[in-house]
Amino acid sequence: MERNKLQRVFKAVWPRALAIGILLGLWQLLVVVGFSSPAGEPLPGPGDTWSEIVYLIQTGVLIPALLMTLERAAIGYGVALAFGTIVGLAVARIPVLRAGVGSLLAGLQSLPSVVWVPIAVIFLSLGGNVEFAVYFVVLMGAFPSIAMGVMSAYDNIPPLTFSLARSMGASGPKYYRHFIFSASLPGYVAGMKQAWAFSWRSLMAAELIIGSVASGGLGPILDDGRSLGDIPEMLAAMVTILVVGIAVNDIIFAPLERGLLRRRGLVPA
Amino acid sequence: MNLALAPRPAVLTLEADSAFVTLDGVTKVFGTGKRAMTALENVSLEMTKGEFVCILGASGCGKSTLLSLIAGLDKATSGTIEIADGRPAVMFQEPALLPWLTVRRNVELPMRVHDVGADERNMRANRLLAMVGLIDFADHRPHQLSGGMRQRCALARALAQDSELLLMDEPFAALDAITRDQLHDDLNRIWQETGKTIIFVTHNVREAVRLGDRVVLMTPRPGRIAQTWDVEIERPRELDSFEVSGLAHEITTRLRAGAIDHGAE
Repeated sequence: MERNKLQRVFKAVWPRALAIGILLGLWQLLVVVGFSSPAGEPLPGPGDTWSEIVYLIQTGVLIPALLMTLERAAIGYGVALAFGTIVGLAVARIPVLRAGVGSLLAGLQSLPSVVWVPIAVIFLSLGGNVEFAVYFVVLMGAFPSIAMGVMSAYDNIPPLTFSLARSMGASGPKYYRHFIFSASLPGYVAGMKQAWAFSWRSLMAAELIIGSVASGGLGPILDDGRSLGDIPEMLAAMVTILVVGIAVNDIIFAPLERGLLRRRGLVPA
Repeated sequence: MNLALAPRPAVLTLEADSAFVTLDGVTKVFGTGKRAMTALENVSLEMTKGEFVCILGASGCGKSTLLSLIAGLDKATSGTIEIADGRPAVMFQEPALLPWLTVRRNVELPMRVHDVGADERNMRANRLLAMVGLIDFADHRPHQLSGGMRQRCALARALAQDSELLLMDEPFAALDAITRDQLHDDLNRIWQETGKTIIFVTHNVREAVRLGDRVVLMTPRPGRIAQTWDVEIERPRELDSFEVSGLAHEITTRLRAGAIDHGAE
């Protein structure tokens, strides 16, 4: 029994472990062949970067910055989720809004959120506080994905589900709760997952451009590394950013989506 | 054999005098102007409480349209539909189970929608699941069931709505012959146990004869009632019994002649 469980974990983990191993190997290979910048700075290897991460943790730099960034991500994403859900539902249900706003949302989604940074800084840095500007950029980056997810989820509800709801006489909150929300959940979660990627990217762009060391966060560490020519610090920040992006997806969204699909018989158990 | 207005056998009708469902001159036109298509023309029908009526016709004869009008899913262009007891329960050709709910939760759904308390919900769900033979599958999800079991679940859910009138739109059309035969037996038994009034739409002549107290034949373009038969064969009926085959043959003959009749009108 115990052995079976171990085998299962191994079976699930090995492809990913292998992929990471290959990636690290290629990186190390670049270091071994002496890849360097035009200015002659050598590329730090995985080992150097790891040491730098440990150093940044020990000096009390990385963890507070990480927490700061995660807090911004959580707040920004939360606002985008609420706003995107409302906008998506409204656009899906109201034909005039769909005609007017539907294509605009798709356009917004393809707009790199970094273009919102300058205007956000000018109009939303209230009292020198950049937080609102950062949230705004995250919101603009993430909410279109949520709204589009809600729209497509709504559009993909089988027409029979509506007939069923009507034949049962469901209306108001019960209509939404028992039929519409539940039926659109997989599409909604897919949108949430995509929106997370967008919000994480937007947040990094915003932090990198707006952020100063004083405002905290991972972006400023990366920027700090660049301005000081501290390449291991840059790489340490990059790896952290990458790992967080993957971890949030793996720990929160992937299991949520898998569970949903499995219960509905859309993937093998 | 046109006995549409003949009195019903007393055994089957508790209130033989009052019509339970009344369709009067129901007409349905889709579209307008040159593209208008008359799906139903002047359909009138009366049903008594507890009656099992099969509406029979080839695809495109408007029988499903008629059902959705009775279900209140669509509005008639003219004519009236009166049902003595509220909103009918509907069973569709597809099971239309909600895939995220277990069998039990699917059956409980109409009760949740209508605020039935947890205890009663549970009790009624158990009774219905036992009735359709799914009690051991209560915690399965729809995708884990066979086609026949899904339709049993859909039947239990329709019954859970606690409506006196049950509308069934070719519910067994997608099933294999053996499963369909079993479901006919089950439906017959459940109808006798519950005393529901059933309108059952089908394109299968033998199915109609096997199940119905009355078979209403519809002809297409525009959809109208061609002829009605009272089926006075003793229940439970068998699909290949002499009586069922005989009447089915008679109806099929009339069905084939439909086009000729239609031209002569």
